[in-house]
Amino acid sequence: MSAAPTLRSGLPVALRLATIQVVAADPMTDGELIARVGEGDSGAFELLYGRYARPVFALALRRLGDRGRAEDAVQETFASVWRSARSYRQERGPGAPWLYAVARNAIVDRRRALGEPPVEPVEEAAQDPGPPERAESSWTAWRVHRALAGLPETERRLIELAYWGELSQSEIAEFLNIPLGTVKTRTRSALGRLADLLEGELS
Amino acid sequence: MTVPPNFRDLVGHDLSAEERARLERVHELLVEAGPPPELPPSLADAPGRGEEPLAGLPRRRAGAVLSLAAAIAVVAFLGGYVTGFRHSSFDAKREVPMHGTSVAPRAQGVIKLGKQDSAGNWPMVVTVRGLPRLPERGYYELFVKRDGFFLRCGNFNVKAGTTTVDFSVPYTFERNDGWIVTRWRRGEQKPGPALLTT
Repeated sequence: MSAAPTLRSGLPVALRLATIQVVAADPMTDGELIARVGEGDSGAFELLYGRYARPVFALALRRLGDRGRAEDAVQETFASVWRSARSYRQERGPGAPWLYAVARNAIVDRRRALGEPPVEPVEEAAQDPGPPERAESSWTAWRVHRALAGLPETERRLIELAYWGELSQSEIAEFLNIPLGTVKTRTRSALGRLADLLEGELS
Repeated sequence: MTVPPNFRDLVGHDLSAEERARLERVHELLVEAGPPPELPPSLADAPGRGEEPLAGLPRRRAGAVLSLAAAIAVVAFLGGYVTGFRHSSFDAKREVPMHGTSVAPRAQGVIKLGKQDSAGNWPMVVTVRGLPRLPERGYYELFVKRDGFFLRCGNFNVKAGTTTVDFSVPYTFERNDGWIVTRWRRGEQKPGPALLTT
């Protein structure tokens, strides 16, 4: 890992660990990336990781309730992706549900390994999440978090500041040092882009 | 629980009914999903860099080694920065680096813990930068997190650039304590979304 660049004050620029890679500029779908991973493409694997590391971690944290075990589950998930990507068939459906199923199975396996009963039955994919509201809620969060990872960084930050930073539009404008009109335009654009991504089921 | 923004404030009033409904659905989904968690340092990069991902990787151990190395580097860097800065005379017994969350990814901070005084209080010096200035009557709040509970350490304001604040708190700090900085919320007992975290 290269050294972090420094500001004049001597403090390092924000740790790269704090954010994930922005992949919006990459036109490849999740399904295409998985297919490439199946052929042993390590670059595709890294792109897929950038898109899905946070959604997988969020799902694992939600199910396992412990950060350390959730970290293990993320590693298990991506190990599984690497091993089983060859079995993925694009014609059967988009990549997001397939990855969701892989992540869920890895999480269930982790609970089993610890002698804990699975909280939900293992699913083949998420198109039919079953009756429990919890499964529906997990799937919603998965899709939303994945869609967020697909936004350009400028738009993703605006959404995160507005929804989870509790900053008003004016405060965001001041914080980011951009005009209020730009904040409004970009926020609307970000919501529209998220709508496109979510309607397209994150292919 | 985060207070969601007002949808109409976000999108304005000049949308078609159809587009408004489409965006409002996204708004509802964002509120329902909540924020994605921050990735821990051990998960910052794809495992194995794609060569033989995870083959023989002792799971968290490899990440932990990287995390430790990164933490040491950051501590050394920030420690060096803070030393010789304003509180150069402060006798720090421990330093805890903080990094910005996705809400404030450029924010940074470091907490210097001093020696417990005879009355049982712990002096500490907190240095932050990259946090947005808040409007009047807006404050940041520092919490220590232990066993799932949050202990309030105090409030502060920031100015442009670097801000350094002194605190003194009666808690006994432990090695596995976590720290967060949030925006103070009137009447709320629980902290809001973290802007800085350890």
